[in-house]
Amino acid sequence: MITLELQNISRVFPGTVALQDFSVRWEGGKIHALIGRNGAGKSTLVNILTGALAPTTGTMLLNDTPCTLRSPADARRTGIAAVYQELSLLPDLNVIENILLGRLPVRKGMLPGRIDWKAAERTTRELLARLNISLPLHTPVRHLSVARQQLVEIAKAMASSPGVLLCDEPTSALSHQEARCVFELLRTLADHGALIIYITHRLQEIRTLADTVTALRDGVSTGTVPSAAATPERMVAMMFGEDVRFSRMIDHSPLPTTVLEVRGLTRHSAFSDVSFTLRAGEVIGIAGLMGSGRTELLRSLAGADPPDTGDVVINGRICVPRSPAQMMHCGMVMTPENRKDHGLLTLLSTRANMTLPSLDRLAPHAITNRTREEQVVARMQRELDIALADPEAPVSALSGGNQQKVVLGKWLATDPRVMLLDEPTRGIDIKAKAQMFQTVVRLSREGMGLLVVSSELEELLLLCHRILFMQHGRITGSADAGSMCLETLLARCMESS
Amino acid sequence: MSRRPHHFILELVLVVLCITLAVLAPGFFSAENALNVLRNISMQGIIALGMTMVIVAGEIDLSVGSAVAFAGCWTAYLTGTFTGTLGWPPAVAVPVAIGLAAITGFLLGSLTGFIRMRFRVPSFITTLALMTGLSGAAELITNGFPLTPFPEWYNALGGGYLAGVPVPALVLLCVFLASSFVMNHTVFGRSVYAVGGNEEAARLSGIPVGRTKTTVLAVTATLAAVAGVLQSSEIMSGTATTAKGWELDIIAAVIIGGTSLSGGSGSVRGTMVGVMFLGVIINGMTLLNVNEYWQHVVRGILILTAVLLNRAHVTQEAFREAAA
Ligand SMILES: Nc1ncnc2c1ncn2[C@@H]1O[C@H](COP(=O)(O)OP(=O)(O)OP(=O)(O)O)[C@@H](O)[C@H]1O
Ligand SMILES: [Mg+2]
Repeated sequence: MITLELQNISRVFPGTVALQDFSVRWEGGKIHALIGRNGAGKSTLVNILTGALAPTTGTMLLNDTPCTLRSPADARRTGIAAVYQELSLLPDLNVIENILLGRLPVRKGMLPGRIDWKAAERTTRELLARLNISLPLHTPVRHLSVARQQLVEIAKAMASSPGVLLCDEPTSALSHQEARCVFELLRTLADHGALIIYITHRLQEIRTLADTVTALRDGVSTGTVPSAAATPERMVAMMFGEDVRFSRMIDHSPLPTTVLEVRGLTRHSAFSDVSFTLRAGEVIGIAGLMGSGRTELLRSLAGADPPDTGDVVINGRICVPRSPAQMMHCGMVMTPENRKDHGLLTLLSTRANMTLPSLDRLAPHAITNRTREEQVVARMQRELDIALADPEAPVSALSGGNQQKVVLGKWLATDPRVMLLDEPTRGIDIKAKAQMFQTVVRLSREGMGLLVVSSELEELLLLCHRILFMQHGRITGSADAGSMCLETLLARCMESS
Repeated sequence: MSRRPHHFILELVLVVLCITLAVLAPGFFSAENALNVLRNISMQGIIALGMTMVIVAGEIDLSVGSAVAFAGCWTAYLTGTFTGTLGWPPAVAVPVAIGLAAITGFLLGSLTGFIRMRFRVPSFITTLALMTGLSGAAELITNGFPLTPFPEWYNALGGGYLAGVPVPALVLLCVFLASSFVMNHTVFGRSVYAVGGNEEAARLSGIPVGRTKTTVLAVTATLAAVAGVLQSSEIMSGTATTAKGWELDIIAAVIIGGTSLSGGSGSVRGTMVGVMFLGVIINGMTLLNVNEYWQHVVRGILILTAVLLNRAHVTQEAFREAAA
C-alpha cells in the first residue's frame, strides 16, 4: 500500500507564507480531499509534491522513505502525476500528441526514433476507452472546449498509470454530469490502490467522492477528518473559521426597459436563430451541456467571433458585433471562461491587467495615469475581495481564484451596461462566490443586465431571474428561476440529449 | 514593467566592465573615447530602440540592416536626381530627399504590418524577404558604385557635433527619451506589451491588435531609414554594402537588454544598456588590440553570458508559470 507523508512542509514566497508547517499522512486506495479558500496554499502544495517547487523546509516521505523531487519529470518517474489547475496542454498538438507527450512510442528497425503513430493511436484509444472518455483524437486541442481540454489533461496524467495522482480542481470547468465520469474514474483508480489527492471548491462533491478531508487556512492545516464527518458546515468552518450561507439572493424585479435584444442571431456550425431580450436589472442564466453553443453565443455577442446573421440591439441601438473593442464601446463586455488564454496577460502586472480594457478612459490624452489606475485596482480589490499582496507583481503570482476575480474586475472597470459572464465562479471558494453573487446582485440592482453561463446549475437558481435552455445551438425554452428546483432544472437540461 | 533589484544586474555588469577597461585599456577612460563610443553605437542604437517595441509586440524585423543601406542609397539617388536632372538647389533637394527616404521606410514597415495582419504571414518571413529585396534594390539604384551627390555641409548630420556631442548621439538620446515615454506612460505602450504578451487576450480586451503591431513595425522601419540617412551623411555617399548584418547586432543588443524574444516583456531602458554594453566591449577590445576574429568569438560569449545573467531570475517564475 502506498503512503505519502509530509512533515512540517513550509514554502515562503516574497511577502507571503504560502504553506506553513504542513504535516499529513495519506494512504493509498483512498481519495483524499484538500480544501481551503483561494490563496490558502493548495496549488503550492501540489507544486511541491510534483517537484515543480521546492519546499523552503520540511520533508516528504513516500512509502516511509524520504524522497526529494527536483522536477515534474522526476516526480513522474517516482509515480506521481498531476492534473494542474491551469491547463498545460500544447494548443497546436492534437489529442494523441498531448496525451502521450514525452512517451510517444517509437519504431524499431531501419530508422530508429521514428514515431509509431499506429501504436500511439492504439494506446490513446485504449486509454480513453479505459477512462470512458470520448474525444476527437486528431483535432488540435486549441479547437476543443475548456471542458474537453480538461478531459485531455486528466487522460494525460493517467497515461503513465501513476501511483499518486494529484488533481487540482479538475472539474471546475465541467458540469455535474461531466464531472461524474471523472469521479467514477477516480474511484476505480483508488480501488486499484492509487493514492488520490483531490482539490475542489465544490464542497458537495466531497461527501460522495472522498474518504478523508484535509483543510488549509492561510497555509496552515486546520485538520483532517473522515468525509463521513465532514458536513458542509464543518468544512466551511475548517476553511474560514466562520459561517458562510447561501440563499436565493435576487429579490428585485427587473426594470421595464430593455437593454439587450437579440433577434435571430446565427453563427454557422455554432448556434442558430437565437432570440431573447434582457431587461435592465435582469439576470438571465443559460443552462446547457458542454457543446450546446453557450460559450460560442457569448463570444459572438461580445464580438470575439462575429455572428453571420441576426440583429443585436443594445439600448435601442443596433450594434452588429464586429470586434470586442466595438462591443465594449456599445456597453457590452464578456468575461471569458478560459482565464489563462483569453482573460489575462500573465506577463503583465495585476494593475496592467485590471485596467487594460478601460485604459482609454483612465488615460487622458492617451497618457497613462498611475494614480487613477491604482484607484481602480483598489476599488476592485475592495469590491471583489481580492487577496493581492502587490499590484505590480505579475498576475500569474496570484492564486487561481484570485486571478478569476481579476478577470471579473477588469471588465467591471469598464462600467458596462450589459455583462456576459462565462463560468464566472470557476475556481473560486464559496465565500468569494457569495461575494461575487452579491456583486452581481448589486450590479443588476443598479440597472445592469447580466447574462450568465454556468455549469453549476444551483448557481443559476440562486442568481437568475430567468433561465434559458440551450441545446445543439438553439434556445429550446425558458423558465422562471424563482419557481424551479434543482431536479426539474437538471431534468430539463438533460431532455432529449 | 516594474522595477526590481534584479533588473539592474546588467547595469552593474556594464559598470564593472567599464572599470575593468579603464584599468586595462590605455585611453579608454577619456572624454574623447566616450564620445567615440557614443558615435559608434548611435545608429544601431536608434534602430534597436524601435526593434525593442517590435520584439515586445511579438514581432521581428530582419530587414533593418538592408533598410539602412537602402535609405542611404535612396537619399543619395534622389538628391542626385533633384540637383542634377531637375536642377534644384541642394538646400531644397537634400531635405526633400531625406523626407522621401523616411516616408519610404514608413510605408515599407506599414506594408509588413499589413501583410502580417491581413494574410497572417509572420513578420519574420516578410522582413526576411524585404532584407534581400532592399539589399538588391540598393545595388540597383547605385549600379554597384557609391553615389556621391551630397554637398559638403551634409556631413554635419552624421559627422558633426552639437555642443560637443556627436549629432547621431543626440538623435539617439531623443529617440530614447521618446520611446521610453511611449512605452512606459502611454496607452499605446501598454498595448504593445499586451499584444505581445497574449494577442487573443489583448483583442478581447478591446486593444487594436493590428494597428498596434503595424505601428511599431512602421516606426522601426522609419528609424532604420533615419539611421540610413545619418550613415550616408557620415560616409558622404550612398553605398549599397554598408550596414551588412546590423540586424543581428541590433537584435543581440535588445536581447541582452532583457527583452524576451517571445514577446510581452522587455524595456527600452534595458536595450539602451545592451547597446552600450556591446559598444563598450567592441571599443575596449579594439583599444586592447584584440585580433578581429577573437573579437567576434568574445562577443558571442559575452552575449550569451549577459542573457544568462538576465534570465537567471526568471527561471524560477517560468517554472511555476508552467506548473501552476
Ligand atoms: N510565484 C509566487 N510568487 C509570489 N506569491 C505566490 C507565488 N505562488 C503563489 N503565491 C502565493 O501563495 C499563496 C498560495 O497560493 P496557491 O496558488 O497555493 O493558492 P490556492 O490554495 O491554490 O488557491 P486557489 O483556490 O485560488 O487556487 C497565495 O497568496 C499566492 O499569492
Ligand atoms: Mg490553486
